[in-house]
Amino acid sequence: QKTKNKLKNPFLKVEDRRRRYRPFYLQLSSFPVVNYSNPKPYSPFETERKNIIAHKQIENKQRNPANNDKGKGPVQLPAKHKKRKGYCECCLKKYDDLQIHVESEQHQNFAQSSHYQVVDDIISKFSCNFVELSTPKIKRRKCSV
Amino acid sequence: MKYDHSKKLSGASTDIEQLYQAVPQLANVFRIKGKIGEGTFSSVYLAIAQLRGGHEEKVALKHLIPTSHPVRIAAELQCLIIAGGQDNVMGVRYCFRKNDHVVIVMPYLEHESFLDILNSLSFEEVRDYMFNLLKALKRIHYFGIVHRDVKPSNFLYNRQMKRYALVDFGLAQGTPDTKIELLKVIQSEAQQESCAWNKPQITLGSQVSVTARAPRQLVRQPAARTANKRPCSLSQTQIKQGQKRKEGPESLHVQRSVFGERNFNVRSSASQDNSTVKLIKQPRVTDIAARKILAKKKTTSAVTNGLVKKAASSYPTNVTCDCYAKDRVCSVCLSRRQQVAPRAGTPGFRAPEVLTKFPNQTTAIDMWSAGIIFLSLLSGRYPFYKASDDLTALAQIMTIRGSRETIQAAKTFGKSILCSKDIPAQDLRMLCERLRGSKTSFDISTGDGQINLSQEPALQAEIFNISDPALQTSKKHLQYQKPSCHERDGLVIRTSEKPADLGWDKVPDEAYDLLDKLLDLNPATRITAKDALLHPFFKNIKQ
Repeated sequence: QKTKNKLKNPFLKVEDRRRRYRPFYLQLSSFPVVNYSNPKPYSPFETERKNIIAHKQIENKQRNPANNDKGKGPVQLPAKHKKRKGYCECCLKKYDDLQIHVESEQHQNFAQSSHYQVVDDIISKFSCNFVELSTPKIKRRKCSV
Repeated sequence: MKYDHSKKLSGASTDIEQLYQAVPQLANVFRIKGKIGEGTFSSVYLAIAQLRGGHEEKVALKHLIPTSHPVRIAAELQCLIIAGGQDNVMGVRYCFRKNDHVVIVMPYLEHESFLDILNSLSFEEVRDYMFNLLKALKRIHYFGIVHRDVKPSNFLYNRQMKRYALVDFGLAQGTPDTKIELLKVIQSEAQQESCAWNKPQITLGSQVSVTARAPRQLVRQPAARTANKRPCSLSQTQIKQGQKRKEGPESLHVQRSVFGERNFNVRSSASQDNSTVKLIKQPRVTDIAARKILAKKKTTSAVTNGLVKKAASSYPTNVTCDCYAKDRVCSVCLSRRQQVAPRAGTPGFRAPEVLTKFPNQTTAIDMWSAGIIFLSLLSGRYPFYKASDDLTALAQIMTIRGSRETIQAAKTFGKSILCSKDIPAQDLRMLCERLRGSKTSFDISTGDGQINLSQEPALQAEIFNISDPALQTSKKHLQYQKPSCHERDGLVIRTSEKPADLGWDKVPDEAYDLLDKLLDLNPATRITAKDALLHPFFKNIKQ
């Protein structure tokens, strides 16, 4: 029982010429066009005006970040702890929240294992000509926890 | 829960404190000033260190995401050590580690925001920029490094000092003959597969049991929609070897047939159209995984293993249907396993062979990306391509380079592309000049020129549809930018320079010829970095 399916225009279909793999395709509502009337420097493929306006606002904000040279850093992002999804190459595992995964027992076991020898081998070859700072360390410690 | 407190805090200062906590040694050496970059796999901070000689030095601290595999981390360091430090390739000063937290210390190069300066660069500056980018690419390609993420934010540019640095080897892969030993370990599954295809390796036996566990690892879809995806992941086998590391470093890259590959293709962009997706029964992920592994076994089955053979034959992976090169799909072709090919990088910078999942990708993919940067520089548009998925990106490429040309080139690397529309290739000079709005009587100060009206009378109606709100926006935007000047250490660079003053009124043909060769749709004939540096476009460049 074959289910056939005709692709609707406009579409793009890509397949392996040896036909060993699943084809992949895209059906668009309209094929992209170069839009010369988008203002510089926006992409000629930018379609949403909203984006152009939104970008502009972001840009304006970024143009006058008070100063990077204050310990504060450029922009104070609200609600920092966004759940970061991803994949852990150490545990070979998908995670929904980076923070929680990194604190998990499995990951902590890996983190404290000898797997990092390959990194340490390289580190051991570096020579360091940075000078140890004398005191600010303690200060830092205090305000951090 | 000691983290509860810090979670409530916000902003970069919290990040800095967390970094000090994660790697306490940093506090002994650096005063961290602020976060200057954040990507999927790392955050970068600006810090000040005291040198033995007495003076201070600004450094960039790159804090890698703690889920990075140690071998990948080591490979990134190796790239920086071996290839870096000259020819505009970033070098490395030192590295700190505590447990899974690794911080790479690099010289700090103050740099421009590409978007900010794009439309104030002179043509000569663009030529220098490209020359220096190609110099960096020549260097890394010599060492067999495929960067995979060449884009302006990874090519630092200090306009005043005319200094440049290619950064971030976090997605790098090795060519088959790479000189970076650890990159050999980080080959993608696709590469291994094709490798095994060419010369079957005796790797079965003990590996079969490892493979059997792989489906579990494969149960995942692209998690967050992020710009960058790691090209591959590291094998469980190899991790096991890591545990019994006595075997020595060679063992790390002797066996590499079984990987917990992160299959980004499990849900392809095809799944975007809902109407059809319903008909395409999404096979259970484990099925895909199983199929995938079996098929892989097939490729290595020159070494016959009864068990594997039996398993493989029970799955018909090669059934044909008559949908090939036609405007349809059916349950037969859709039930085949998906091809796995590296696609790490940033959407708008991916070469056609990456977008179409060609497994044997080479350093040519970086040259394509360099071409996209050049296209931005010549057209004044950044990002040039704006696509959220690979096939949309491919469609946009076809709009510039032509559908027939794209289809023709794809054939050479084993891909059939079917496109419902025939789109002619654009003349690169005309495209860029129209987009840049240069070579004209065009004057920004009048506030109404995106294009040269005298040159393109036919377009007036199309573009200057006066009631078009987009145009109003564009006018306002120009007016907003008009009076702005960039003040950099007393040097004022006007952004409203006339094209003639910046050399944009006489862009030589060589520029577009080089662009054409960088944006060669066929990776086999695409110009190399070495050859590009010898291109007439760079004649008489001061080095």
